[in-house]
This record gives sequence, C-alpha cells and structure tokens, in this order.
Amino acid sequence: MTRLGMVIDLQKCVGCSACSIGCKMENNIPDGIFWSHYKQETEGTFPNVKLRYISTLCNHCTDAPCVKACPTSPKSTYKAENGMTLYNSDTCISCRACEFSCPYGQITFNAVDAEAKPYHNPDRALTEKGGTQGLRKKGKVEKCTFCDHRVRNGVDPFCVETCPANARIFGDLDDPNSEVSQLVAKNANFVLKPEANTKPNVFYINSYGKK
Amino acid sequence: GRKLEPIGALKQGKWVGTGCQGCTSWCSSQAYVVDGRVIKIRGNVNAKSQQGAACPRMRLAIQQAYDPDRIKQPMKRTNPKKGRSEEPKFVPISWDEAFDTIADKLLELIKANEGHKLVAFRGRYTDINDLAYSTFPKLMGSPNNISHSSICAESEKFGPMYTHGKGSYRDYDLINSKYVLIWGMDPLATNRQVSTWLKNWGEIIGDAKIAVVEPRFTSTASKADEWLPVISGQDGALAVALAHVLLTKGLWSKEFVGDFKDGKNLFVAGKTVDEAAFTEKHTNGIVKWWNLELKDRTPEWASPLCGIPVEQIVRVATEMGNNAPYTCVMMGGGGVMQQRGAYNSMAIHALNGIVGSVEHEGGCGFPSGATYGSFPAFAEFQTKEAAATAKHKKIDHRGRLEWANMPTGSVGGGVNTNRVADGILAADPNEIKMAIGYWINLNFSCAENHRWDAAMAKVPFFAHCVTHNSEMSWFADILLPSTHHMFEQWSVTGTYQNMVAHRAIQQPMIDKVYDAKNYESEVMWGIAEKLAAKGFTNFLDYLKTFKDPETGKAATNGEELGLYMTKILTEPIWNPEKYKSGDKFNGWNHFVEVGVWNGGAFKYKAAWSNMGTATKKFEFYSETLKKNLQTHADNNKATIDQALAAMNYTARGDLAFVPHYETPITVGDANKYPLIFIDQKSRLNREGRSANCGWYQDFKDVDFGDEKNGDTIKINPVDATKLGIKHGDKVRVTSPAGSIEVTAFVWEGIRPGHAAKSYGQGHWNYGKKANGKGGNNNAVLSAVYEKLSGATVYYANTRVNITKA
Repeated sequence: MTRLGMVIDLQKCVGCSACSIGCKMENNIPDGIFWSHYKQETEGTFPNVKLRYISTLCNHCTDAPCVKACPTSPKSTYKAENGMTLYNSDTCISCRACEFSCPYGQITFNAVDAEAKPYHNPDRALTEKGGTQGLRKKGKVEKCTFCDHRVRNGVDPFCVETCPANARIFGDLDDPNSEVSQLVAKNANFVLKPEANTKPNVFYINSYGKK
Repeated sequence: GRKLEPIGALKQGKWVGTGCQGCTSWCSSQAYVVDGRVIKIRGNVNAKSQQGAACPRMRLAIQQAYDPDRIKQPMKRTNPKKGRSEEPKFVPISWDEAFDTIADKLLELIKANEGHKLVAFRGRYTDINDLAYSTFPKLMGSPNNISHSSICAESEKFGPMYTHGKGSYRDYDLINSKYVLIWGMDPLATNRQVSTWLKNWGEIIGDAKIAVVEPRFTSTASKADEWLPVISGQDGALAVALAHVLLTKGLWSKEFVGDFKDGKNLFVAGKTVDEAAFTEKHTNGIVKWWNLELKDRTPEWASPLCGIPVEQIVRVATEMGNNAPYTCVMMGGGGVMQQRGAYNSMAIHALNGIVGSVEHEGGCGFPSGATYGSFPAFAEFQTKEAAATAKHKKIDHRGRLEWANMPTGSVGGGVNTNRVADGILAADPNEIKMAIGYWINLNFSCAENHRWDAAMAKVPFFAHCVTHNSEMSWFADILLPSTHHMFEQWSVTGTYQNMVAHRAIQQPMIDKVYDAKNYESEVMWGIAEKLAAKGFTNFLDYLKTFKDPETGKAATNGEELGLYMTKILTEPIWNPEKYKSGDKFNGWNHFVEVGVWNGGAFKYKAAWSNMGTATKKFEFYSETLKKNLQTHADNNKATIDQALAAMNYTARGDLAFVPHYETPITVGDANKYPLIFIDQKSRLNREGRSANCGWYQDFKDVDFGDEKNGDTIKINPVDATKLGIKHGDKVRVTSPAGSIEVTAFVWEGIRPGHAAKSYGQGHWNYGKKANGKGGNNNAVLSAVYEKLSGATVYYANTRVNITKA
C-alpha cells in the first residue's frame, strides 16, 4: 500500500509563512482562504515568554472524518489509493458536512467564484476528474490536495520544495525505508489532536523554540 | 483507496535569474516563467549563499508586478493646486508628452542657470543607478542628488566605520559560531541576509547559543536561548557593561587584542590602568577605552538603566567570553538608529573586537564583492554653468556644524534624507523649483511625514517614476510608470550572505504588464532625446558613448542603454578576458543563463592589522573618528567640543573618540506619554511597497501580534490595565508629532513601558487593498536625528499615549 504523508521538522521551521504563500502561488488560492497555514501561541509572563508556531495543512487522515461525513454516493470526499484525501466537485452537493466534520478546520467553503489572475498556475488544472482544478466555484469546498497534480508527476508538493528551511519532508509512510518513515521512527513525534482518532498523516518532530 | 485515473504532465516553464530588492538582503532569485508570465519565485539555486532559499517577501513581488492598481501609462496632473486634500486629477498622456514636459522644465532651469534648484530623489535602486542618481543631476547642474540611505541604516554603518574601518553592512559566519548575540534586529524576519538565515537557522541553533537584545519578543527571539528585553534607548548602557564584564573577567581575545605584560589582569572595576602595562596586537586603545569609559560601567550601574538583571548581564558576557572567538555580535538598527546612537553602534560592534571575532571564523566580516566595469566619463559633457551650480550647497544641510553626517568616512558627505523637507520648506540654502524621483515615497517613509506633504506641495514641478500611484505621487505633476526591477528591466544587484558575495542579474523576462519604463536607463534616454530635440544635446551625446562591450555598437534607444549599462558594469564578471575573481563565465549569455556570480571563499584574519582605520588596527580608541571630527570642526571653524555640543552629544575631550554611554533622548514627557514607541519592521514588507498585495494582507499576522488585513499596537498586560485598554480595542496612539488609530494587541512579548507597532500599513494612496488599513508609524514618529551619521531616528524616537478610540 501507499500512504503519502509529511513530516514537519519544527527545529528547522522558522515560522515565516513561505510555505503558505507558496501554496497560494501553486494552487491559485483566493484571498482569505488557506490550505497551508499556521497557529501561533504565546505562553508565559514577561520576561519568561515562549512562542509556539505550528505550521498546519490537511492531515490527509487515514480515518478521515470528512470522508465519513460525506453523504454522496460515490463519496465526493474520498481516500485515494495513494493515501491522499481528495475531493470531487462534480458529485459534491454543497452540504458542507465535510467542512463541519474536520477537527482541524482545514476545509473551506467558497461563498463566491474565484477570480482569475495573470500569475495563476496552469498546472493546477491537472487533477482527477471533478477535482480541485484551476479555479474554484461558488458553493464548493476546497482544501490541500498534497499537490496531487505535482506528486502524481513525480515531484514533491510545492510547500516542500519552497520551504526555505527544508522543514517539510514528503513521502510514503507505508514504506519503512522512506525518509518520512525513518524520521518518524527515529524521532519523538506528535500529530495534531490525537484524541480525534483520525490517524493523521502529517507528523511533527523536534520543537520550534529552544527554551 | 479509490483508484486514480492518469493525469497530464506539468507545463515546462523556465526558471530565469533575477535579483530581489524587497529589502536590503538583495538576494539572488529565480522566477518561473510560463507563457510570458511569472508564476513562482525561488532563491537562485546557483547562488552559494542562499542555495535556492527564498524568504516570504520575495514571493510577494509577483503580486506587485501584476497588481491591477499599478500605474498603467504616464499621467499628468490637471488640478494645479497641491495638498493632501487636493485630488491631483491625473489624466493619461503619452510618454512623448511626459518627456517633452520634463525636458521643458529642465531647460527652464538650465537656461536660467538654476540647476541647483533641481532635486533628484533616489529610493530603491540597482547597481546601474550611477547615471540616473549621480551623473544626470550633475549634467543638469544640480548638487541635490538625494538618496533614501539615512532613513535606512546610516548609524548602523557608523560603529563599524570608526572601529573596524568599514562603514558598511557586516556579514556573519553563523554556521561556525558558538555564541550569537543579536542586537536590535530580527534576522529571521527582516533584513539583512534573511533567506540565508531562514535556510540555516535549524543548523545554527543546533550548534550555537543565541541571545537576542530587543524590547519586543521577536521571531528570532522565539528561536533563541536568551532574551534581553532592553529598555529602548538604553542599549549603550548594556553594551558597555558587557564590555566591562568581559574585561574584568579576563575573557578578551589574547590573540586579537593582546595581553598584560606580566599576564595579570589589571582590569579591576573602578581602577585606572597604566597603558604601558598592556601590549596590544591587532587593536588600538583597549586601555584608553577602559580608563575613559569602561572601568565604572559595572553591571550594577547598567542594570537599573537598561532594565536587564545584573545576573543576566554577567551570564551573557561570560558565555560570550567563554565561546570567544566563535562569538558573533550582529547589529541592526534597533539599538543604534537613536539620537546619540552612533556611540551605541561603536559599543555594540566593539564587542566583536573584544572577543576577537572580527574577520574570524564564526565572527563577522566583509566578503569581497565583484569588480565592476565603469561607465564612460561625463566631464566633457557638463557645461561650465552646470559644473558651477552643481557645486552649490546641498538642500539637506549636510556638513553644517550640527550635521557631521559621516557614517562611511566622508566628513559631511552622508545624506540627510529626512531633512530635505525642511530645506525645501525654508528655501534653505535655496528654493527648489523642480524635483524628480524614482522608487521613493518619502511622504510615507519619513518620520513626521506631514512635513513632506507641505514640502512637496511647495515644489512647483515634480515628476515621479514608480510602480504605484503613492502618497508622494499625490504631489506629482507627471507620473511615470516604472518597470518592476525583478521581471521587466536590465540591471544588476548584489551583496553578501553566508560569507560569500554575489551579483544577481535582473532581466526582462515577462510580457510587460503595463507601458512602463526603467528610470535608471529608459527614462534617462527619453529625457535626453527631448532635451536634444530642443537644442540641449549634451546629455544625449553622453548617452551615445555607452557601447555594447561585445559589439562596440552605441546605444540607440533606452532599452539598449539599459542592456549596455548592465553589460559594461558586469563585464569583469562575464568576459573571461577581463576576469578578476569568483565564478568564471564563458561570456555574457552564460552569465545571464546562470543568473548569479559568486565571489571566492572568505579569507579569515586577512584584514587583521590591515583595516581601513587610521591605525590599520581595530580601534577601541578611534583615531579615525578623532581625525574626521577634527576635519568637521575645521570645516566649520569650530573646535571638536563645539561640534559635539552643536550635535547634542554629551561627551567632550577624549571620551568622544571611544564607544561610550550617552543618556538617550526620547521625545515626549513620560507623564503625558507613558510608553516608548517601537517601530517594528514587518516580515512581509517590501520596503513599504507590498501592502497592496493580497498575500501581504492574508499573512500579516505572521508578524507575531499583528492581524490579517489590520494593524495592531502591542502592549504589555500591565500597561493595558493601567491604561484601561482591552485586547482588541480600537485605540488612538498619540505622540507629540501626531496620532493614528489602530487595534490594541495585549501581549506578554513586549516589555512593560513600551508599545510596538509594525511599519507598513496606514497607506492612504497606494491601492484598493492597502488604503485605509490602520496607521502609519511615521505619523507619530518625530523628525529627530542621529547627527554624527545623519540617520533619521526610528528607535527610542518618541513616547506615546494610548487611549480608547
């Protein structure tokens, strides 16, 4: 089996948002919508302050609540053979059940049609039938696809390529020899909201702060 | 999982070399071009410095270039009245009409022998700027070529100049450092060398301890070991106390500084030392510095002033010393672009001297750049009359008794950018009848910016060449659309990062978005052609002496001029017959294809006892400063002490030649204005030009404490309680200079008694996404100066009060 996933090395992560801006560039994402994003939190009292920064994206969960929640048949939000969680807007009935079911808030509903820009990436059109193509339509949802159009052409998701700190590593978690599997095996790691029992495929290693 | 159907292949675009100038990191870059459009950005993978890494702001250049609010064609003003409340009523005109009008106005000055009544402004520029910035005003007879430099960094250059002998930005060998003290800068967010630090930080923090001096908890502080939240303005007290501890604990570098003859440390608090007892090696005046300043600068003295506990001062100094010489002190504007900050700049940089990390592995230095070719000489094309008026005194008052302006060693030679508004308003030393400027927005970027509205309203004719109709453009008579430096013009830029220099080519690579021209070449050509048609041929005759180094063919239009200027300048890089150093290319096309030249390996210690100072040593007692202050005093028929008094420094006599503590001056009565304002530089600013980008607004909160599409002021909960302010309140921030309305962000990451706010929002004329969001820091900052360097003060500048709006 193939289970594509990602490791984010928080020691390397510099909290700069380049991954998220790169994601917008690659995937023609309108203002106000985020497939790649971050959470920031300050802890402590002056002067003993600590900052947490966690870079976030769709976890492409093995037990994806969005897939379970989708009422259509066949499912409009579905697990693909390579482990990606993908979406088909052709069969989507705009019920937003997937959006409401996601414990990570990674699915966004389009209230308006997206606007074309001169710098849009033509490659975003390459995807499954009904998939997240060039521009999104009003009444449909969208989320990170792990750059399926790139990955299926043999290159890493753009956030991985564009991260200036090389903090993101992508690969097959079912292959014990892959870099991602090795990193997960050799490092203390965590996933977001383990209590949700979604089996996320985005793992975090090391810590952002030094203190 | 569901079986997936095959999908098509990715488009094959091309990565084209360019150089990013969104900040002064000046990174080499590559743009991904598909079907004549740029759709992605990365660092140039051929650069030894960044190795492909790009910071977030580099990416925003795409939205800048394709911004629907860019100026699309030349325009002229139809409302003759000028003022903040006067809509200019611009109407489109042709380039021909624009050049014709500008040429007429220049000829009026030339014919009346009034070249000195012209001022030429330069904002962001490339390395081909010499023609537009220096030669053009001289040929027109103007002494007033005004750069933006003194609102950028000049006091930061001052300290290295008068200790290290080089008034320039340092590079830092952090990969090899064991202890890094980062002072008044946030290298993971703002300039310089940002892309390189982003790439290497995970490795750097694995090997080195990091300490950050800054009243605000910065991005870099969030990935550091120590935070020293200094009271803004009191950086000098902390710096001299660190130096005191390093000396009393015997932790100075014996290899670099030398040692006591009998090996016993005589640096004992409060006690003077006999100079003859110490043998110095590569430095000058360590004992003089001790006796004049350091002996009494104990941590116990400094702590109540700078707000850093004694034990933290001692701990940091000890760890600096224990890791010496692999201890690097990085300096930014925060601790030094203050009134009297020149001495902070010397004190902070001198810490590198004490620990011996100057030009040492793991320390700081100045990697050698490229040798450039030179443009043709212009002297024979300058009329006698123009040569005479070009010698008039400059409009920025530099060199007067109260303005030494010598950040890079030239006495009275440094620019005084923000002072020009006052010069224009007072017609001192003369009235200004015409202004021309490019990639500059002084009405937005200068402290106490309303003075610029008055000044530019007073200038009868102003031509402005920029990408966006901006706050300064509001006062323009002719508005010229500028090319975007990364994608639409021939030019070159570069600096150094990761201890290796680079030069990055900038080239036209996309279908032009609008009818724009490059000011540094094409606009010069257009003006020259019109002047020639009207009988003044000198300028065009001069431009025709620019020849393609490959074919020998003279330029026949502005685009060729830009290309030939770039080729002439970079010829020692690409022409193997003129090769000097670093990467070697087999010709022009090869250089353009690779997009970046890398310099050679840095030579550690090569500059030891061979520095650009008067003594060739690293000067703790600055003979260089003494000499230059004497020249400045002589130029004004005064004594050095009189000059120091006129510039409002407290030191007299020998103390003025060593790094020392000066009581800071911050505008505003502490009772009326309880908080010291901190002008924070934003991670996504492309020098105040990116607020109209959707990605800027969408990711504004990547500056901790900022909010998307908004503008916040960060205050400590202790102060919020005192002021009756709650998190998220709309508040009015008031200083003696003015007031703005923003949102309160109550945060533990700011020292009590301070208020930090990002610069960048608060535009009122920059485009639909930028306008009307928050307030401009420069509306509350006062126009005060660091007068030895000429720097406009941005830190410890003013106190503010915050009330509910």
